[in-house]
Amino acid sequence: MREITYLEAVREAMSQEMRKNQDVYLLGEDIGVYGGAFGVTRGMIEEFGPERVRNTPISEAAIAGAAVGSALTGMRPILELQFSDFITIAMDQLVNQAAKLRYMYGGKGKVPMVVRTPAGSGTGAAAQHSQSLEAWMAHIPGLKVVQPSTAYDAKGLLKAAIDDDNPVIFYEHKLLYKMKSHVPEEPYSIPLGKADMKREGKDVTIVATAMMVHKALEAAKELEKEGIDVEIVDPRTLVPLDEETIVESVKKTGRVVVVHEAVKRGGYGGEIASIIAESEAFDYLDAPIKRLGGLPVPIPYNPNLEKAAVPQVPDIIKAVKETVQFK
Amino acid sequence: MSNHALPAFITDEKLVELYKQMWLIRYFDEKVDQFFAKGMIHGTTHLCVGQEATAAGSIAVLQEKDKITSTHRGHGHCIAKGASVDKMMAELFGKVTGYCKGKGGSMHIADVEKGNLGANGIVGGGIPLAVGAALTSRMKNEGYVVLCFFGDGAANEGSFHESLNLASIWDLPVVFICENNQYGMSGSVKDMFNIEHIADRAQAYGIPGKVIDGNDMLEVMNAVYEAVEYARSGKGPVLIEAKTYRWKGHSKSDAKKYRTREEEQEWRKKDPIKRFKEYLMEKGVLTEEKAEQLREEAFREIEDAVAFAEKSPEPSLDTLLEDVYA
Amino acid sequence: MAKEIFMPKLSSTMEVGTLLQWLKEEGEPVDIGEPLFEIMTDKINIEVEAYDRGILLKKYFQADDQVPVNQVIGYIGERGEAVPEEPPILSEGATEPSGQKTEPSAISEDAVEGKSNENGKVRATPAARRLAKEAQADLQSILGSGPKGRIHLKDVQQYLETEKEQPKASPLARKMAERENIDWKTLQGSGAGGKVMSRDVIHAVPAQASGQKQEQHEVRKKLSGLRKVVADRMVQSAFTAPHVTLTSDVDMTKAIEMRIALLPTVETQTGFRLTYTDILIKAVGTALSRFPEVNVHLEHDEIIYKKNVNVGVAVAVQDGLIVPVIKQVEQKGLAAICAEAKDLSKRAREQKLRPDELEGSTFTISNLGMYPIDAFTPIINQPEIAILGVGRTQEKPVVVNGEIAIRPIMTVSLSFDHRVIDGAPAAEFLAEVKRILENPYEMIL
Repeated sequence: MREITYLEAVREAMSQEMRKNQDVYLLGEDIGVYGGAFGVTRGMIEEFGPERVRNTPISEAAIAGAAVGSALTGMRPILELQFSDFITIAMDQLVNQAAKLRYMYGGKGKVPMVVRTPAGSGTGAAAQHSQSLEAWMAHIPGLKVVQPSTAYDAKGLLKAAIDDDNPVIFYEHKLLYKMKSHVPEEPYSIPLGKADMKREGKDVTIVATAMMVHKALEAAKELEKEGIDVEIVDPRTLVPLDEETIVESVKKTGRVVVVHEAVKRGGYGGEIASIIAESEAFDYLDAPIKRLGGLPVPIPYNPNLEKAAVPQVPDIIKAVKETVQFK
Repeated sequence: MSNHALPAFITDEKLVELYKQMWLIRYFDEKVDQFFAKGMIHGTTHLCVGQEATAAGSIAVLQEKDKITSTHRGHGHCIAKGASVDKMMAELFGKVTGYCKGKGGSMHIADVEKGNLGANGIVGGGIPLAVGAALTSRMKNEGYVVLCFFGDGAANEGSFHESLNLASIWDLPVVFICENNQYGMSGSVKDMFNIEHIADRAQAYGIPGKVIDGNDMLEVMNAVYEAVEYARSGKGPVLIEAKTYRWKGHSKSDAKKYRTREEEQEWRKKDPIKRFKEYLMEKGVLTEEKAEQLREEAFREIEDAVAFAEKSPEPSLDTLLEDVYA
Repeated sequence: MAKEIFMPKLSSTMEVGTLLQWLKEEGEPVDIGEPLFEIMTDKINIEVEAYDRGILLKKYFQADDQVPVNQVIGYIGERGEAVPEEPPILSEGATEPSGQKTEPSAISEDAVEGKSNENGKVRATPAARRLAKEAQADLQSILGSGPKGRIHLKDVQQYLETEKEQPKASPLARKMAERENIDWKTLQGSGAGGKVMSRDVIHAVPAQASGQKQEQHEVRKKLSGLRKVVADRMVQSAFTAPHVTLTSDVDMTKAIEMRIALLPTVETQTGFRLTYTDILIKAVGTALSRFPEVNVHLEHDEIIYKKNVNVGVAVAVQDGLIVPVIKQVEQKGLAAICAEAKDLSKRAREQKLRPDELEGSTFTISNLGMYPIDAFTPIINQPEIAILGVGRTQEKPVVVNGEIAIRPIMTVSLSFDHRVIDGAPAAEFLAEVKRILENPYEMIL
């Protein structure tokens, strides 16, 4: 089977949809001949032309709003926000407009759009270009939030996001862009709201998102040597969330560590932990639910500091050991 | 009264209809004002009494397929775009028969199918949406123009500037119409702008800008028609600033401490309905009796709308979670 | 806080008590020292007095229930105070030292405190709670291995595993079940913690024999109260100790002479008439002090040589028999023995003996001399290893020095536990008893 990178998978999903559906178009800053800040759209303007790969001015509010307005009137825009940190400038259009129009209008109109945006730290881009703000968006009724962790997932989830009739915030982790995995050439869709078991185990469940899926897998390998059998659930989409898979896994293992890169305080891990505590899995918990997340600091520039600000493999190993030690 | 060439579909009959529509707009908001004052409807509302010409006049010259984006002060736009006053009033009463099934209220009345992309509770929030809708028109080659309403306050929002620029560089078929009613809530344009005309900002984005008397139906119709056809022809957006005045407070009633009684009286003399009636009578298409009869009809229609709203059912609690997602 | 009412441990050997009756109803006020309920131990019926003042809030057990010692059987407290619906399940550790202790985890400093129970609340994970609830195990009885003694799933599993290994049927129930060819494991236990009791086996018998039509008008009476205690103890003894019974005739001529000689003196000293039983007690006591291998207890697989000679005398009472004990017989004279024996037997019939007066015997005498019985095979009163059965004294022709003579002859029967002693030493002991009785003056020297 063919292997391509996460970045290529995202591009392939967009290109395949655009070939099929004239309503799908891209807009964003520097997505034309430059190919976007990370090169995701490279080559696309050559294939689809500047009408459908619309290079925009640096106007996040306007381009987000233009995406909403065009979606409301029949297009299926894919908006690239150069860094997910810039979502702050587009916030009104996403939160007050895209998310709510349909409901406010009593069920009339729909906003089928995708906001693709690179998130996460690890590139040395420091505080304003390294955040993980997905919990903000997950909080808003009317938005869907996707966080793919592999090339395979990225392609299938992006197709599902484009096909969805609602605004979908699609977080791409910068450090994953170059990661390869098996990706079928033909278009395929991974339903939003379906978690993926990235590893099966019996001793402890790690619910990990995006980059943390890979750190958790690495941790699991280490823990296996010590006889700790780790199960890793990747929710893949925060909204809708596949609560069932998480709950079933925790019922099986009785122990859970939730890990994300976003700042732990107010992070989505708290939501996942609460769902577990409220669910049927509660009666199966044999250790307190553990959360791992970023420290409450802006992402620093210095590489050592930057690493220390977000969970790393040893942190996950430590958290898992603390969780299973009374088994 | 200006006297320009109007489009052929603005017939004498249409003009008389518009006269009645202006009364419909006025009575709708007067009635809403009364209900809010009595505490009969909850939430908030923004009244456009005194601004009937910008709503009725500019929308009158649109084609059926053209779209509008509206504002928090949007009841007039809705009525002008052909909305049913029954369903509007029902929405304000929070009834299931309302435009938004009772979930939107005053600030969110929309009729997407009829080209009303919705009022907006966020100042300047609808401007980028209008640009996006215009983009659809362009990309799908649908030939419609989007008329984008906003107030003087919104002209100081970033979205205004970003949107005018974006529409300009892409030559999108959108007409930005600023209803400058002199106050953004309590903020007078004299304090909040250091320029005389908001329309002057068009220059910054390389598009035409025009200042008009927003209380003059004819001038509004003429200017907007010209701008809409300009935009439809692919030449790009136009910015129109219609100078007008809201007779009521910002939302519901307020003490209006930010302005003088004298100023209000001055503007009342420029009542757009009175001026339009004089024009129509002068033109010989309207008699005093007919005018009175139309006014009466408008009044009764609003009374009927109230009756409709009052007898309409409340939305079921089961609908609470409906329509969050498509 | 409501105060717990326990099944008291009234003797060192007491493991369960049978609740005979409550003397108060739920809701009734109770004062300190007021009789609250009546129980029967393996030896005695006794009224138990309240230690607390208040309202009897809860009675968890009813008459005839067998309850392990230290089990909470009820609560006294203030009116309206909440008490558990179910009696707290007795922890293993409450009656005997806990067998299994979990090592605190080396990783956790918190784990050093092995106590999960604070203010009556148990620190336990949800999973542990679920399992405990399903298995009807009491978290209070489970030792937690987590931080601050938190009980984890594993702790409950281990606890249940240990529980499973423990006999969940009383020994009597097992014996009876065996005899009736019933698998006791299939029975629903009515005892504490679901323990199968002999009554459960008894109930199961007719159930198993269903199909055979029961004869009508048959009076059925549950084996209960003291009868049941005696039954249990007899079965226990008969089925565990290989009994051998030796009989011997004793010429009582001199013993009778001695009794007649001592009667006025003893009566003056004590107010009681010296009986043959008193003489037998002293005779046996004297023999026992010479045969320490008979003055022993067998407990599990240990022979315990008792320091004193304490002679129990079986006394028939309503619906059973009890055995008051005359302590330190080797140090007491006949008068003292007489006085003590009279007092004990009188109070035994009145059911007023203290528990300590019913325990500690090292040998028992069962006297059926008042009946036309010559010899019988008495059952050993465990943990003793021998018992002397005493028959009637009858004038019989015997050969004395080559001539037939009429002599008062008493037959004595010694049953002994062949696990502990063999025939020869037992015979020697019985011969010694005989010799002393036939030469009784040496016992008063």
